[in-house]
Amino acid sequence: MTPPRTRHTGPAGGAGPHALELRDITAGYDRRAPVLRGVSLSLREGEAVGLLGPSGCGKSTLAKVAALLHRPDAGTVHLGGEPARGFRHRAPRAQRTAVGVVFQSPRLAADPRLTLSALIAEPLLATGRKAGAADRTRELARAVGLGPDLLGRRPHEVSDGQLQRACVARALALRPRVLVCDEMTAMLDASTTAALVAVVEDYRARSGAALLAVGHDRTLLERWCDRTVELHGGGTDSALRSAPRAAAGTSAG
Amino acid sequence: MSADTLTPETVAGPPAAAHPLLSVRELTVRFRMRGGREVAAVTDVGLDLAPGECLALVGESGCGKSVLASALLGLLPGNAHVSGSAVLRGPGEADGLDLLTADEATLARTVRGRRVGLVPQSPAAHLTPVRTVRSQLAETVRELTGARGEELRAATLTAAGRAAFPADHLDRYPHQLSGGLAQRAATALALVGDAPLLLADEPTTGLDRDLVDRTVDELRAHTDEGRGLLIITHDLAAAERVADRVAVMYAGRIVELAPAPDFFGTPGPRHPYARGLLEALPERSFTPIPGMPPELGDLPAGCAFAPRCDRAADVCATVPQLTGGVACHRPLTAAAGEGPAARREGSRV
Amino acid sequence: MSTATALGKGGAPRAGRREVRLWTCACVLAVVLAAVLLVPLLHPLDEQAVDMANKLHAPSAAHPFGTDDVGRDVLLRCVYGLRVSLLVGVVAALTATVIGTAVGAAAGAAGGRTDRMVMRVVDVFSSVPHLLLGIFIVAMFRPGVWPVVVSVGLTHWLSTARIVRAEVLSLRSRDFVDAAVSGGASRLRVAVRHLLPGVLPQAGLAAVLMVPHAIWHESALSFLGLGLPTHRASLGNMIQDARGTLLAGDWWPTLFPGLFLIVPTLAIAGLAGVWRERINPRRRSELML
Repeated sequence: MTPPRTRHTGPAGGAGPHALELRDITAGYDRRAPVLRGVSLSLREGEAVGLLGPSGCGKSTLAKVAALLHRPDAGTVHLGGEPARGFRHRAPRAQRTAVGVVFQSPRLAADPRLTLSALIAEPLLATGRKAGAADRTRELARAVGLGPDLLGRRPHEVSDGQLQRACVARALALRPRVLVCDEMTAMLDASTTAALVAVVEDYRARSGAALLAVGHDRTLLERWCDRTVELHGGGTDSALRSAPRAAAGTSAG
Repeated sequence: MSADTLTPETVAGPPAAAHPLLSVRELTVRFRMRGGREVAAVTDVGLDLAPGECLALVGESGCGKSVLASALLGLLPGNAHVSGSAVLRGPGEADGLDLLTADEATLARTVRGRRVGLVPQSPAAHLTPVRTVRSQLAETVRELTGARGEELRAATLTAAGRAAFPADHLDRYPHQLSGGLAQRAATALALVGDAPLLLADEPTTGLDRDLVDRTVDELRAHTDEGRGLLIITHDLAAAERVADRVAVMYAGRIVELAPAPDFFGTPGPRHPYARGLLEALPERSFTPIPGMPPELGDLPAGCAFAPRCDRAADVCATVPQLTGGVACHRPLTAAAGEGPAARREGSRV
Repeated sequence: MSTATALGKGGAPRAGRREVRLWTCACVLAVVLAAVLLVPLLHPLDEQAVDMANKLHAPSAAHPFGTDDVGRDVLLRCVYGLRVSLLVGVVAALTATVIGTAVGAAAGAAGGRTDRMVMRVVDVFSSVPHLLLGIFIVAMFRPGVWPVVVSVGLTHWLSTARIVRAEVLSLRSRDFVDAAVSGGASRLRVAVRHLLPGVLPQAGLAAVLMVPHAIWHESALSFLGLGLPTHRASLGNMIQDARGTLLAGDWWPTLFPGLFLIVPTLAIAGLAGVWRERINPRRRSELML
C-alpha cells in the first residue's frame, strides 16, 4: 500500500531552479536545544511537497523558517535561487511576500478586530496596493468561496472553516511563488478540507507556485502533494525521508 | 414530530438499546441574539446511547454539535433556550434524571464528573497550568470519593493508571506534558468519578494521527468496560475507528443515524450530505460538497441541505423527518451510490 | 469548541445587574461632572475669603453642608475641591498611562536585553513605596497643582507598563502578527494596526482605574500638607483643616468632603469594572459555534 521510501539526499531530481531551498537548517527557541538540526529540503518550481512528522518534531518551526518568519541558528534559505537576506522584518519585503503562509488555527491567525474583507485586503494595503484592493479582495473571496455577506463580519461571527477560507485568501493576495500551509486543515471537516485544498491547487495550477504542506495526516498529504517528506524526531538526528507521490490513480473517480 | 419516528433503535439499535443510558428526545436549543435574531443551534435531536456503546456525532464546525454537548452538561449561556428532554438513567432506575431540567446545584453536585464525565477538547486548557497533574487528580478524587491520606494517594495512582497516565509523570505541570499525555491526564480526570456516561468533545483536535488513534482506542477501551461514550468530532477517521453508531449533524439537525459499519462500509451513507462528507476524504474522491453550510440564524425553509444538494427536488421544500435513520426525502440507496466500500478498499491501489 | 464554558445558567440576570450598575455609576458621574463644571460658573468662590461670624454652622437651608471653622460654605468648597481633585486625577492618570504604555510597549516590542533592562528599572521603582516616592517628588517643588500631578504621574506608570508589556508580548507571539509580517507589513504597521489596538483597551482601563487612585493620592498629599497650598479648596485640605473641629463634635466639615472623595471614585471604579467585563469577554458564550 505505502510505496517504498528512499533516503532523501539533496534536492529531488529534476533540473529546474528551486523555488525554495533550505540548507542545513538548525533552528529552535533555545540555542542549546534546537528542535531542528541540519535539516535540508528543497522544492522545485511548481512542486508540492508534504512534510510529515509527529507533534513536536519541529515541522512547524521548519515551516516558519521557510516563510522567513523564524531566524534559524544556522543554515541558509534560498528563494527562487536568491539567498534570503534576513528574517521577519529584516527580510526585504519582496522576499517576505514571495511566500504565502496559512496557519493551523484560523482563530489565532486572524486579527480579531478586522472584518474578513479587511483581513484579506491587509497584505494589499500593507504593501501599498490600495488601488484595486477592493476588487482584488472580492476576487480572492470568490476564489475561496466566501460570499459578500460574510465579508463584513468579524472573526468571532464566522465558523472556523469560513475563517480559514479568509486566511487562505489572505495568503494568496500577493500572488506568492511559494505557499507554506502549516497544518492548514487540522481543525477542519472533510468537506472544507477538500475545498481549501482545491483552492490552493487551483491557484498553483494557474500560477505555478510551489507548495510546502506541513501536517500529520499522511493520507491527506500523499493525496495532495507530489511527494512527501518525513521529519523524524528533530533534536540530534533530524532526518528527512522522502517518498514520491503515491501511484497515480488514487482518485476514485 | 412524534417520539416514535425519532427513536433510533427502530433503525440501528444495538442489543442493549432497550435500556438506554441516555435518551435524548426532541432536543432543541435556540439562542436569542441582540436585535431579536434567533439562532437555531440544535433542532429536534433524538438519540439513544446504551451502556458499552459509542455514538459518534459528526459534522462541520458550526453545525451545532458542541452546543448539543453543552446542553447535555447544562453549560449553555443565559440567552439559550432549551426544550425537549435528555434523560440519564442508571441501571434499574425507572425515571432517571432529565439533564435539561435539572437545576445547576444538582448538575454540579451529582451529575458532572459523577454521572457524566467530560473529556475536553483542549486538555492543555482544561488542566490548571500552575498545579501538577497529581495535585489536580488528587483534588478531583477527594472531591468525588472523599478519600483522604494514604487512601487518597493510592486512589490517585489508580485513577492515573486507569487512563494509562504514567505514574512517573504525575508530578509534572501540564505544560511539561506532550499533547498525548495531556489528553490522558484530562481523560483520567474525566474517569475519576466512574461516570457511566462519557462525553468527549473533539478529543483529538490538534493531535497527530498516531495520537488520535491511541486516544480513541483508549476511549474505546473505557467504553468496552460498560460505559456509554458520546464522542463529538469532525474527524471521520477517528469516528470510524471508535464508533458503534454514527450520527451526522447538519444545520442543527441529525440528518443520518446509522451503524458505523453500514455508514463507513456498505451500503454507505444514505443522506446526500453524509455521502458528500465521506466522499470529501482524501482516501475517497477528495471532492468538497459545493457551497457552505447555511447560517443557523438564517436557515432556508425546508431541507437545509437542499441548496447544496444535487438530488434536491420540489419535495425538499419541506423539512424531512428522521425516519429509518435518515432525514431525507430522496435518500441514496446502496445501488444508487457508486459502491463506496469497494472504492475505499482500493483507494491506494 | 470547548463545552467547558464557565458560564452558568445565570447569565441573563447577571447581565441585568450589570446594566443597573452601569447606569447608576454613569448617573452619579454625570451629576458630579455637571456640578464641577457648572457651579463655578454660577457661583464664583473667593478662596481667601473668611466669614468668622458664620463659622461652624450645622447644615441648614442656607448652607446645606454647613460652614467650616472660618465660616466658609462646605458645599461650595467641596465642589471646588472635587474639581481640583478630578483635574489632578485625570491629568496624572493620563500622564502615568502614556508613560506606562510607551515604556511597556517599547519593552515588549523590543524584547531581549532591552526588555530585561527596562523591566529591572521598573522593578527597582516598584520596590520603593510610591507614596514615599511621591512625597519626595512634591517636596522638591513649591506647593501647587502641577507638582502633585507630576508626582502622581511619575509614580504610577509602573503597573501600566507591566500590563502593556505582557499584552504586547502575548500579542506578538500570535500567528496573526506572523501573517502580517509575511504579508509585507512594516514594523510600524504591525505596531499601529495589530499590536496597539489590542493594547489600548487594557491601557485605557488602567487609566480609568487610576483616576480614583490619583485623586486619593492628591488628597493624601494635601492632607499631609505637601500637596496643594492650604488656602486652595481641595478635598484633602478640607479634611485636614476639619480634624480639629471633628473632635469638638462638628462632623459636617469632615463628612461631606469625605463623601465627595468616596462617591465619585466608586462611580469611576464601577464604570471601569463594567468596561473590564466588556474587553475581557467571555463573549464567546453569546453564541457557542
